[in-house]
Amino acid sequence: MNGKSSTLALGSAAALLVAIALPFVIGDASRLNLLILVLMAAQLGVAWNLIGGYAGQVSLGHAAFYGIGAYTSTLLLLKFGINPWLGMFAGGVIAALLSLAFGWSCFRLKGHYFAMATIAVAEIVQIVFTNWDYGGAAVGLTIPMTHDGWAWMVFPDKRPYYWIALGLLVLTLAATAIVERCHVGYYLRALKDEPDAARSIGIDITRYKQIALSLSAFFTALGGSFYAQKELYIDPGSVLSTALSIKMALVSILGGIGTLFGPVVGAVVLTTIEELTRAGFGGSGRGTDTIIYAALIIAIAVFYPGGLIGGYRAWAGRRSSRRTARGYEPQAAVHGEAHARDEALR
Amino acid sequence: MTAEILLQTLASGVLIGLIYALVAIGLTMIFGVMDIVNFAHGEFMMLGMYASFWMFALFALDPMLTLPLTVLMLFAFGVVLYKLVIRRITNAPMVSQIFTTFGLMILLRGVAQFFWRPDFRSIENSWVSGTVKLGAFQLGRPQLVAGAGAIVVTLAVYFFLHRTKWGAALEATAADKEAAQLMGIDSHKMFALAWGIGAACAGAAGGLLSTFFPIFPEVGANFILIAFVVVNLGGFGSVAGAFWAGILVGVIEVMGGLLLGPEYKMAVVLVVFLAVLMFRPQGLLGKS
Amino acid sequence: MTFAFARLKVAAACVAVFLGASAHAQQEVKIGVIYPLTGAAASSGAEMKNALELAVDIINNGAKGITELPFSAGGGLPGLKGAKIKLVFADHQGNPQTGATEAERLISQEKVVALVGAYNSNVTVTASQVAERNKIPFLNPESSSASLTARGFKWFFRTTAHDDLFVRNFFEFMKEFEAKRGVKVGPIATINENTLWGTETTKLEAALAPAGGFNLVKQITYPAKSTQLTSEVQTLKAAAPKVIMQSSYLGDALLSMKTYKELGFMPDMILANDAGFSDTEFIKTLGKDADYVISREVWALDLANRNPLIKQVNDLFRSKYGADFTGNSARTFTGLMVMADAINRAGSTDPEAIRKALAATDIPGSKLIMPWKGVKFDESGQNVYGSGILVQIVDGKYHTVWPYNVASREIVWPMPAWDKR
Repeated sequence: MNGKSSTLALGSAAALLVAIALPFVIGDASRLNLLILVLMAAQLGVAWNLIGGYAGQVSLGHAAFYGIGAYTSTLLLLKFGINPWLGMFAGGVIAALLSLAFGWSCFRLKGHYFAMATIAVAEIVQIVFTNWDYGGAAVGLTIPMTHDGWAWMVFPDKRPYYWIALGLLVLTLAATAIVERCHVGYYLRALKDEPDAARSIGIDITRYKQIALSLSAFFTALGGSFYAQKELYIDPGSVLSTALSIKMALVSILGGIGTLFGPVVGAVVLTTIEELTRAGFGGSGRGTDTIIYAALIIAIAVFYPGGLIGGYRAWAGRRSSRRTARGYEPQAAVHGEAHARDEALR
Repeated sequence: MTAEILLQTLASGVLIGLIYALVAIGLTMIFGVMDIVNFAHGEFMMLGMYASFWMFALFALDPMLTLPLTVLMLFAFGVVLYKLVIRRITNAPMVSQIFTTFGLMILLRGVAQFFWRPDFRSIENSWVSGTVKLGAFQLGRPQLVAGAGAIVVTLAVYFFLHRTKWGAALEATAADKEAAQLMGIDSHKMFALAWGIGAACAGAAGGLLSTFFPIFPEVGANFILIAFVVVNLGGFGSVAGAFWAGILVGVIEVMGGLLLGPEYKMAVVLVVFLAVLMFRPQGLLGKS
Repeated sequence: MTFAFARLKVAAACVAVFLGASAHAQQEVKIGVIYPLTGAAASSGAEMKNALELAVDIINNGAKGITELPFSAGGGLPGLKGAKIKLVFADHQGNPQTGATEAERLISQEKVVALVGAYNSNVTVTASQVAERNKIPFLNPESSSASLTARGFKWFFRTTAHDDLFVRNFFEFMKEFEAKRGVKVGPIATINENTLWGTETTKLEAALAPAGGFNLVKQITYPAKSTQLTSEVQTLKAAAPKVIMQSSYLGDALLSMKTYKELGFMPDMILANDAGFSDTEFIKTLGKDADYVISREVWALDLANRNPLIKQVNDLFRSKYGADFTGNSARTFTGLMVMADAINRAGSTDPEAIRKALAATDIPGSKLIMPWKGVKFDESGQNVYGSGILVQIVDGKYHTVWPYNVASREIVWPMPAWDKR
């Protein structure tokens, strides 16, 4: 481990400790709620990043997995009394299985075509759930507050929700970090940089993309189940909409696609802007908050195509380049971090 | 389910399909020339509807009369938007482009609500109100006029692309930007032109729709998904493709709704769309 | 910063907080209001916002000459020594999670003593859940999903009648109509949009039609925000019903009426379930084409004939906002008045006291601008006197036609065909 990675590890550990301790310091329920929203958005962004960032297949239909997770765990609970923790896992597995079907049929589609296919699939799933009586159709499903506590993942207090959301985020980050550093990540990077060279060595592109997609689907579905347990009410509009899919992608893109912590940064910024503008201006009903929110999104997209992390690295790079010669570029496959930075700057 | 009902539905499907085609033509042009998926395209249509409405409400000018003005205004708006925002992301990664046009979509809806309030507006009595009886069929006159208008605009765009110098330059840029630049064609001018024409087509659709469709800030949302599907189906970049795909989607939607139930009509369109993506991803008339 | 200076700052801050706190306790009662101020339902949200502001204006500043209306003397709430009401608005954007988040914020940060909202039933579900968890009273003036009062909540109160009652009204009406006129209304078809409201209505209609001995020939659900309704109307035509029961929001209501005309389809009776059909834009847009549609409503201007208070308050609303009340805005206005009445009787801003006062509410119909017998909540929080009426559009105006004892005119039946108008 070189100096940079150990600083990163130390920093992450410290941040984690602070994060775990926060609920003891913050008494205000709505501030804690805001943090939970940030954690949820971050977790979804990190999950999306597996396929959208690392594997380079931009999905704009991830809400399908989210909704499947939410509906699976909720239906299992309401119809069969199955514990939501198990239901959450089941939802993740089902989403991963469905992603196999999707990947098998759609991975040969390129760029815009793939994105459109994901939108189409997610919309179809939403239409199906809107009209499926057993699943509650448009009326939605309500989880009663009768049983609460850790066994049932229902809490009157916000703090346990915070820790679970944090736990999910850490889990998803860990999975991403593992993928980044193991052979799957190595191959995915190779495929992104030099798809033809990679193929000529005999790397099965589809297989590695599929692994990334299944993991991505799994974790996204976990997020969906968590949403259901937190809000205690789901309907097709709240867990299956295309707007939600786009938000999952936005969080990663805003923060820095293909970087480990990019989506976390993106989630913090995006959620904060959204909530602050709505709290500040939403009450007027003129729509000022949406205008500000949109203007900020556009500004960041236009001026920081590498996301905020990309922008930071560019700035840091310019500073350090006054000391080092910029001509030397470390090999992409060996130094994942530098590679990710190059990706972000592209 | 009589033959009469089937034929009547078919006719309605063709008419709404022509509107879809008109919206999609603008979208496919933008994509064909500069490779950008414009999420805000529905909002160009919305602005066209509002332009039409305000000229009617404030000056009592019929939408049919003001249609050319609406088209020009949207053309100018498209060019301005290009110069202010889009120009900066022409070389950005696809995700940034998506991000930007998506932001524009929200921005334009927010601005529309800010200035014009969220209330629904409509144009009550335009020149083309009423119904037309064609034998056993009854069709709305606004829809017929809108359909005819869509055909006219499509032909105009097609003519422009294939018979004029500017059009040829546009096509050249779409085919190979660098080569075109070597020939002295300024890409940025072409992009601005494409964006302008794209907005103008959507604006025309809006102007035509305003005679029979309710007008409100979020109206673009009803059409944008269909527009994407049509563009994909017809082949990114193909105007003729968008035209025929639009009609096809319109027919599939109404027939699917009639035969399988209206709640599934969009699902039918999307399933057909996915099937085409599997077997012919470049669309009906796109280049492989 | 020297130590002394720091101490001075702290002292000044303490004084300010103390002053502020004591000043607020006497002068302001904060009520959180969560409504769709942007998004699909924004136009309804805007008129409900106006209704809320009017109610608060009357309570705080009085309304001359409207003596029957509670609090019309102005000067705030007498039970709290003239404390004025301050509304804190929040926009839920039609999103259930946003509604919950805003409720959370209003309770924890804005420290509201009660919540009013949220129009959209699916947002009311989550927002009221937050209120229940935090033991803050939540008053719901407009959401019609029956399940809202079936959750066993202690802090949730709803003044409007719900869909179960409204759909029953339709069938009650048809039975009375058939008896009165000695006719049979004929086969019924339902066409409803497929979000929460339309879906629940469809289920209710499916259950109640056969129970009432009616012939239900077709049920259509269509995706809200369609670009065209051709296949829907064609399917309806093919089923040849004589009565259409329809639930649509404004955009679809307009689109469907235009499609009926375009395809030359006109049943004997259209029974619309409020929403789009009672929106001010409906008649404005369709003009004569809107005539003869019967809609469920909760309020109509001609009810003023029996209760002059309705006209007085409506005139006030009209003078401020340039439009009449609608069923939505009238209910929202009433909801805030009920909440104010409860807080007033509680004599304090303690949530439990307010809840007790709400549960004990008993307002007579003469003090309301609604055609209800009054406001009184049962153990589930539902106003037992909430009721609906039916209005028919004739000559571009809404006329109350049912219940027969409050009707202002005869029903026009069957609806004349399009070419015979």
